[in-house]
Formats: sequence, structure tokens, C-alpha cells
Amino acid sequence: MLILRRKANEALLIGDDIVVKILDIYEGGVRLAIEAPKEIPILRSELVQAANANRDAAGGTEKPRELMELLGNGVGAEQ
Amino acid sequence: VKTDTKYFGEIEYDEDDLLKFSKGLFGFEEEKSFLLIPFLGNGTLFSLQSIATPQLSFVAMDPFSLDEHYNPVLQPEELEALGVKDSQELGYYTLCAVKEPVSETTVNFKCPVAVNVRTRAAMQVILETEEYHMRHRLGDFGGKKGEASC
Repeated sequence: MLILRRKANEALLIGDDIVVKILDIYEGGVRLAIEAPKEIPILRSELVQAANANRDAAGGTEKPRELMELLGNGVGAEQ
Repeated sequence: VKTDTKYFGEIEYDEDDLLKFSKGLFGFEEEKSFLLIPFLGNGTLFSLQSIATPQLSFVAMDPFSLDEHYNPVLQPEELEALGVKDSQELGYYTLCAVKEPVSETTVNFKCPVAVNVRTRAAMQVILETEEYHMRHRLGDFGGKKGEASC
């Protein structure tokens, strides 16, 4: 992994056609501007995690009755 | 209108009851219309049923039944998209990944579904706060939940 220091208004290049520019830095965050070819997807990483969490939430095959039983009995009964 | 559902077979619903997700849900961007169907009349557990895809249903819970202090705060542009001024004007549902044993079931407090109850506009958001995560174990919540069921 490459780690480097940049200041506001500085940029870095990835390959020939991706430019990442640091727009400004504030307490707790930075604003970035990214120039890249259209075909390169750019996603906030938590978006991918959120999609994965949703896929897990959609994956169950439980019937509602079993589900109710599970939830009704299980929660708070432990510890 | 009739639709097939994952848990309830064919059901009849009113167009006015549809939740309209103009951006879909994360990873399900094409799914724009859902029904919120309570399981067995219980007010805390729901099937968030897709209209376009009958086999697609998320298990949704009332997050406040798990944590009465749950406090989602949306970004201004999210509030604007839902047509309200304040996060407290919205209704919230949290999606669950059901596991066995049930205490291993996780709920996604970081990405609630926010609903404008008046207009039925809905949106799944990612909260900025570090306080909530995408996989809280159901077993880690206190014993309050029992009161709310049945």
C-alpha cells in the first residue's frame, strides 16, 4: 500500500487518466475531486458494504411464522 | 391491485400504500416500489416486499423497538429529497439479516429506510454518525424488545 502526504489543492495521478485532487480539508474530513474515465466506477466504500448488508437482509428463506417465533423468543432472552 | 409476495402468497394492495424509492435500495437500485407488510399483525416486524420482484423481500424492524434512543440524523439533501425539514418528521425501518440462532441476526442501524409517511416517499440512507453500524447483533440489545411484541 502506498501512503503519501498531500495538502489542500494538491493532486495525485493514478495511471494516465485518473486525477485525484484534494479540494479542502476540515475537521473530520476531506473533500476530493476525482477525474476519471466514465467506465471506471467510483463508489464510496460504505456503499458497497451497504449493498452487501442489504443482500444479506434479502437472502433469508424463513417463513414468517418461524421468523416470528425466532424473534419473539430469542431477543432479550439471553444474558 | 394484486401482487405475488415472498411470504404471504398473492395479496391485494392499494397503490396509495406503496413506498416509492426513487433511487431504489443499495445494491437494488432498480427496485423502486415496495410494500411494508406486518408479520402477523405485530407492529415491530415487517416484510419490505418488492413489487417488481415477488421473491424479493427484506425483513424490516421498527428500530425504536430495539433502542428507544435510536436517533437517525439525515443530511440536508436527503431531507430535501424526502420533502421534510427535520429528521424527526420521518418514519424509520431497519433491515435485518436473519440468522440462526436468532441472537446472531444483525440489524443495520447505519442504513435505515426513511419514510415520509404523508407522501410515501422513501429512501435508504447511510448515516454519517460513527455510533451506528451495519451489523448490530440482535442479541446485544437489551430486554426491552419483548414488551413490544404481541
